[in-house]
Amino acid sequence: MYCKTILSISLIVSFKILAQSTGNRSVAVTLPVVTLMDIEPAGAISLNYTTPTEAGNAVTVPTSNTTKWVNYTSAIASGGITRRITASINQVLPGIDIKILAAAASGSGGGTLGTPAAQITLTTTARTIISGIGGAFTGNGINNGHRLTISLTTNTYANLSARTNTPVVITYTITE
Amino acid sequence: MKVYTIFLYKTFLIKSVLILLLSLSLDLKSQRVLTVGGTNWTVTVPPITEAGSNYTGTYESATNQVLLGASVPLLLGNGKVSVQYQANPTWNSNLVLSARRTGNGTTPCVGCSITGGTSYITVPLATDIELFRITAVVALASYSNIPVQLQLSGVSVAIPAATYNSLLVFTIAAP
Repeated sequence: MYCKTILSISLIVSFKILAQSTGNRSVAVTLPVVTLMDIEPAGAISLNYTTPTEAGNAVTVPTSNTTKWVNYTSAIASGGITRRITASINQVLPGIDIKILAAAASGSGGGTLGTPAAQITLTTTARTIISGIGGAFTGNGINNGHRLTISLTTNTYANLSARTNTPVVITYTITE
Repeated sequence: MKVYTIFLYKTFLIKSVLILLLSLSLDLKSQRVLTVGGTNWTVTVPPITEAGSNYTGTYESATNQVLLGASVPLLLGNGKVSVQYQANPTWNSNLVLSARRTGNGTTPCVGCSITGGTSYITVPLATDIELFRITAVVALASYSNIPVQLQLSGVSVAIPAATYNSLLVFTIAAP
């Protein structure tokens, strides 16, 4: 009789153990490191000196170009090193400085956007134009990101020489 | 002697039935039952291919990602199914989890009802929030395969690159 009673109690306990009022499912998401940059719009720009119309005057320096924008997307790990964007040119033209200035980011971006450096003269050595880029995106296309101002100045007039369609390639790099 | 044995047997039988009834009543008083089926959700985030762009930001699971089974004894009348999330072990508070009920599941109970939770609700961290409610009318309210869809929003490159995991904890309790 005691055995049967114990069996009954065990049965009751087992009912209670089988019953449950909670359960779970997991959710997982992986966000990778991202490093993307481009210049918008695509294509070359022209900066042309103009011939003076009055004897004795210097050639006229071209107007600065402000049509180009730097777009980027950056995702870094927690505590990771921020990114920067550098610029360099493939050749230096005698008598001419090619200068570049990135403006503060504007448009539809967000996150930890970069800080522009002061205007620099481009050389064949890469120099930083934007730094401190964290997890950020600028938005895509023109009017998003950092507007670039590219200008020419004459450094040594005596070194200027007549030339036609001399291509100078500006290389932009996003790096840590 | 035989009469005495039969008497003892009947006494035991009655006692056993009483114990069983008592246990059942205790069970009915204390037990709402919830089972959690379906599959874990690994969110697929398409890669960014255009510089300047961010992630779309909001992603949805299958409409039946989670399948809940819930039963409420008649004596208890109704039950509330709640949900919360817990970091497991790492989550980012900018990642927002939501859940909604996309169907009623199946039930043999006529007159029982399941209500609420058909629009996305934001799932809080470590605090239960009601997802839906079950009401028993004339019998045990037992529902199975109640489909639940999950949503993840707030995905951005501004969140540190890493793998994040969380647990969605479903609970049934008194309303």
